[in-house]
Amino acid sequence: MAAHPLPLVHPQRILLVALLIIVLLFLAFPVYFMLVTSLKTPGEAYRLPATLFPHQPTLQAYPFVIKAWSYWRTLANTVLVAGLASFGATLLGGIAAYGFSRMNFTGKSLLYAAVVGSMAIPAMVTLGPIFLAYKNLRLLDTHLGLILVFMAEGIPVAFLTLFSYFKAIPKELDEAAAIDGCSLVNIFLRIIMPIALPGVAVTFLLLFIAGWNEFLFAFTLTITPSTRLLTVRLFEIPVRADANTIPYDLIAAGGMLILLPLVPILLRVQKQLVEGILAGAVKE
Amino acid sequence: MRLVPNQPSRSVPFSGRLADALSGANAVAYCLVLPAILLRLGFTLAPAIQTFWLSFTDKSLMASGRFVGLANYAAMLSDKTLIASLGFTIFYTAASVAAETGLGLLIALLLMRQVRAKWISNFIMLLPWVMAPLLAATVWKIMFYEDGGILNQILRDAGIIASPIRWLSDANTARFSVILVTVWKNVSWVALIFMAALAALPKDVYEAAEVDGTNAVQRFRYITVPMLRPTIFLVLMFRGMGEVQTFEQIGGLTRGGPGTATQNLAYYAYQRFFQELRYGYGSAINVLLLLLTALIGGFFAWRMYKASSR
Repeated sequence: MAAHPLPLVHPQRILLVALLIIVLLFLAFPVYFMLVTSLKTPGEAYRLPATLFPHQPTLQAYPFVIKAWSYWRTLANTVLVAGLASFGATLLGGIAAYGFSRMNFTGKSLLYAAVVGSMAIPAMVTLGPIFLAYKNLRLLDTHLGLILVFMAEGIPVAFLTLFSYFKAIPKELDEAAAIDGCSLVNIFLRIIMPIALPGVAVTFLLLFIAGWNEFLFAFTLTITPSTRLLTVRLFEIPVRADANTIPYDLIAAGGMLILLPLVPILLRVQKQLVEGILAGAVKE
Repeated sequence: MRLVPNQPSRSVPFSGRLADALSGANAVAYCLVLPAILLRLGFTLAPAIQTFWLSFTDKSLMASGRFVGLANYAAMLSDKTLIASLGFTIFYTAASVAAETGLGLLIALLLMRQVRAKWISNFIMLLPWVMAPLLAATVWKIMFYEDGGILNQILRDAGIIASPIRWLSDANTARFSVILVTVWKNVSWVALIFMAALAALPKDVYEAAEVDGTNAVQRFRYITVPMLRPTIFLVLMFRGMGEVQTFEQIGGLTRGGPGTATQNLAYYAYQRFFQELRYGYGSAINVLLLLLTALIGGFFAWRMYKASSR
């Protein structure tokens, strides 16, 4: 925005840089403190006053939490549920977005309003009836039940994000392919999807992250430890048999074990993620 | 019974119009759009309707549910904890959304000027965004520990406080702490939205204003803010609907305490429904939550529409 950059040492510039550093510290510090706490020995994690650096860094909290949580099993559950649900929501939402971006049909604006309007229904409002229905349908404590709920949760995001991507692809492309005798399915799979593939991939990732982090449904609709997902484990603090102190190192290590698998995504496709976030929110 | 068409111009009988709607292009379009929409409505609209129905019954784990009219709503009026949690929900939503919007705009303005090492600031911004709300609450809870916890330790070493702050055990401070965690978790998303909106603002307006001798504050007040209005309403809409139904931060940090100081509608409804198994009363509270959310969403969607069509 500034037409000419300010010189390096300028009071206004120093003030702005200082503000920026304060803001970034505020955002990063809790994550930093979780990391260092997870690397402390049990004694140091509980010792007060709290320390900013681990004196004897150790990884011993991690194997303990991995065992107490049955981490690998829980991780597999989470990847399965979040992955399949995101795939389904991206597919269904994408097909619907394609229909909305290319066709006119009776009741189009009403159906659009229904999808967008359904975003104003809080999860808490739907949770009770879904729980009662699942009890009758024997879907309680099943991964299928969670996948269906997560899919439904993800559909508006997939729809709005992909709608904005598809609208940017010129209609003439479809029309030319149709004249060449290409069927609708072929147009969608072989022309639109390849062009929109970055958008589709980002949509999948956004939904995957949302599913990874979902707690309310995952907590309420599962009962047995073997079906539970990662965030739900956060509610079960692992305890050492011989200790009666709060195991901060274990809690922090558990948090890291939930955060760490997502960090490569943040580093590798950061720009695309940001674009995806914007495509879903800022319409038109 | 025969349906009489309202408008004389549309003299095709209803069945004819229905057949028309299902023929040709319409049928193909419905095949594409309906699976997603039906799944979505089946898991949102249908349960919401059932919540309405349940709120007029006394259904619980034991009772199969009798129609009791407005009895649940009458009971809500004399439920002091419910009134208090409605008050806290409104206060919490207004305070966190205001702080997120203000701070998010500030962060966006700061980051707009930064050119080097953008991936680091972007990475830091995305960290709170990518964390589950319950994980955010867990992390902060470790830092909130009162006697010698890290936050109190840093504040004391910096000479800002003399005695430890009771982050979660004092009613007013606990309210502040819950808001702080929510703002930390969601401010990045707001900043990202504002950064995109700022980047899309026309540059020539700023250049012209600069030539006219305006200062940065004037340009912000009279150019940036008016042009950002649709974006500001978009942020208020999404964050308002998000914060009003907060559950994880309350459950992870305070469980509504101390006392009922941080009890909000979503948490209170959850306890009635799933802990006391009073499905009817819990649903009546959820109807209130639904109306509040729809009110916030509808109001800001309307303001956004008006601001962007001007």
